[in-house]
Amino acid sequence: MADVQMSSAPSARSQRPSGLRSMLYKSETARGYLLLSPALLVMVVGMLIPFTILIAMSFWTRDGFDFDTTMSMTNYQTAMDVPIYNAFLARSFWISGITTVATVLLCYPMAYYVAFHVHRNKMLWIILMTLPFWTSYLLRVFSWKVILGYEGVINSGLLGLGLIDAPLEFLLYSQTAVIITLAHAWAAFAILPMYVSLEKIDRSLLEAAADLGDGPARRFFRITLPLSIPGVISATFLIFIPTTGDYITPALVGGPNSPMIGNLIQLQFGAVNNWPMGAALSVILTLWIAAVGLVFLFVTRKSQESVV
Amino acid sequence: MDVVDNLNAVRNGELSRRAFTRSLLAAGVGLMTAPLLPRRAMASNPDEATIFTWGGYDIADFYPSYIEKNGVPPNFSIFGGTEEALTKMRGGFVVDAAHPCNAGLKRWKQSGLFQPIDTSRLSNWGDVMPELVNMAENVDDQGTWMAPFDWGGTSITYRTDLFELEGEESWDMLWDQRYAGRLGSLGSGGDAWWCGAIKAGVPFKDIATDDAFERISAVMREQRPLIRLYSDDTTTLEQALASGEMVAAMTWNSSAVALQYDEVPVKFAKPKEGQLTWVCGIMLHKDAPNVDKAYEMIDAMLSPAAGQFMIGEYGYGHSNARAFDEFDDETLVGLGLSKNPADILGAGHFMIPQDQNWESRMNETFEMIKAGF
Repeated sequence: MADVQMSSAPSARSQRPSGLRSMLYKSETARGYLLLSPALLVMVVGMLIPFTILIAMSFWTRDGFDFDTTMSMTNYQTAMDVPIYNAFLARSFWISGITTVATVLLCYPMAYYVAFHVHRNKMLWIILMTLPFWTSYLLRVFSWKVILGYEGVINSGLLGLGLIDAPLEFLLYSQTAVIITLAHAWAAFAILPMYVSLEKIDRSLLEAAADLGDGPARRFFRITLPLSIPGVISATFLIFIPTTGDYITPALVGGPNSPMIGNLIQLQFGAVNNWPMGAALSVILTLWIAAVGLVFLFVTRKSQESVV
Repeated sequence: MDVVDNLNAVRNGELSRRAFTRSLLAAGVGLMTAPLLPRRAMASNPDEATIFTWGGYDIADFYPSYIEKNGVPPNFSIFGGTEEALTKMRGGFVVDAAHPCNAGLKRWKQSGLFQPIDTSRLSNWGDVMPELVNMAENVDDQGTWMAPFDWGGTSITYRTDLFELEGEESWDMLWDQRYAGRLGSLGSGGDAWWCGAIKAGVPFKDIATDDAFERISAVMREQRPLIRLYSDDTTTLEQALASGEMVAAMTWNSSAVALQYDEVPVKFAKPKEGQLTWVCGIMLHKDAPNVDKAYEMIDAMLSPAAGQFMIGEYGYGHSNARAFDEFDDETLVGLGLSKNPADILGAGHFMIPQDQNWESRMNETFEMIKAGF
């Protein structure tokens, strides 16, 4: 055994690989991040950096054609003092709040029907229900202009039936028109989460409840509704967040009384040419939506805990 | 090889969610890669000149000699208002030529994005009406900045059968309480504010004063509850007037011409306080990628053929005197024009170029008023 020389330890090169590779061998976290790095890169470049620029710009002020880059809270001060901004925020939350409630209430029965009463070709039903949303958003808004217009489908129909003497003027260029259009345009985003959540409910629970003596209404309120709340919550968020900032719909069908905060922000970046103010308004809107969202989550979590 | 037969799967009730999304993926990939295949029609040819212009000017009839020479019309890019256009170009959007109006001439020059036009390269320059060329701020020691192209008026288009005139035609028509909710207006401050100034009796040379801002704001606030819609496009206003939804609206003269062509009983008012008149033209971008083609394009726009189309179809005046030869005086008066632009431009109120600060302040104020504040 003595003549077997213990071979010297393998050379340092193969024992300790270069820095990155050693880190990879040792740390699972690093391997994870490396795997994620393409997506992380896209997110940082596409979302994080622009958002940082937005926040930075909100502290600048306008100076003719350029920016005065000294940090100041002027924009935020103006947004709090001048009443128009708060009024627009309030109006936006009001309109999108009503839209969200209307959409969720209208789409829940549709999702419920497909989940519970359709047994064959569910996929086909889902495709058919979401088919209108494969068209352009702008075209859908325009088609509502045709339906609600002065000589539009509704007015011509009612006039033809003799139910009214003169066309209804409140249908278009009003907040009503905005709510109707938004509720329809975003319906697919409500149907799909609620359908998924309803689909996952264990049918045996409903059977058990029936066996134990619950009628259909009690079954719905005690089992189906509470178990589908996660879907309702996602649907609510999916509709509320985008519609608050929407500006196309109020611009096309809203008339002079419906511009929302999105229109105001767009003006700052366009005709009014005050980009820092637009950035500040965007940040304020983001914070408000986050706040409303957190309150909503908190409330529903409380109610869920009390049920479950 | 298994062929994915989706139709039969649906018929037999076998289409699973996974198979469906896989088919969607295939369709998406197919659509995305289709543009990589050679195409015959290109959306935008980089060799042709690009013009950044108002909606409605993106048709081949305005560029006859360019199409003769090059076979295709120039590339078009559209804007809804000069403020939007200037912001976009300052953001880095490079075109060969743009189509601003005289009110913005000073600001567009100051932006440093444009170069003077070498008028010796334009064969039609000799026929361009000198009154239009010599508008304020256009010709200075560096040359001519804007080649005037079209001119016209902004006034009230109203339904003669639905609107009961009390006395003479006047800007008061758009402030008439009897027709609350049935009046319309173009939404851009660049037109509406100046019309408000005429109504408020503010002389244009004083429009930058604080007093002017107060008086015009008061007048616009008074008008707001009566307006059904502040529109950004003329088509909406024209359709509303045609259907009777609106009885009067503030528009350009092309709307009245279009409606009269469709035999809707409208008239383009000649208010006793005077119309608002405007002149628009072409400015050449400093970094124009296709300068030679740009000159060809400008020349085409200044030609009598383009002018005849403009006058006949749109009802706007053209800057080339020879374009008017085709039309008799009666037609021109019916369109609200004349062979002598000085008549019309002198009788109306010509917008005076303002600087950027005024423009931003005006837009901010007007947008607040439109929002109800």
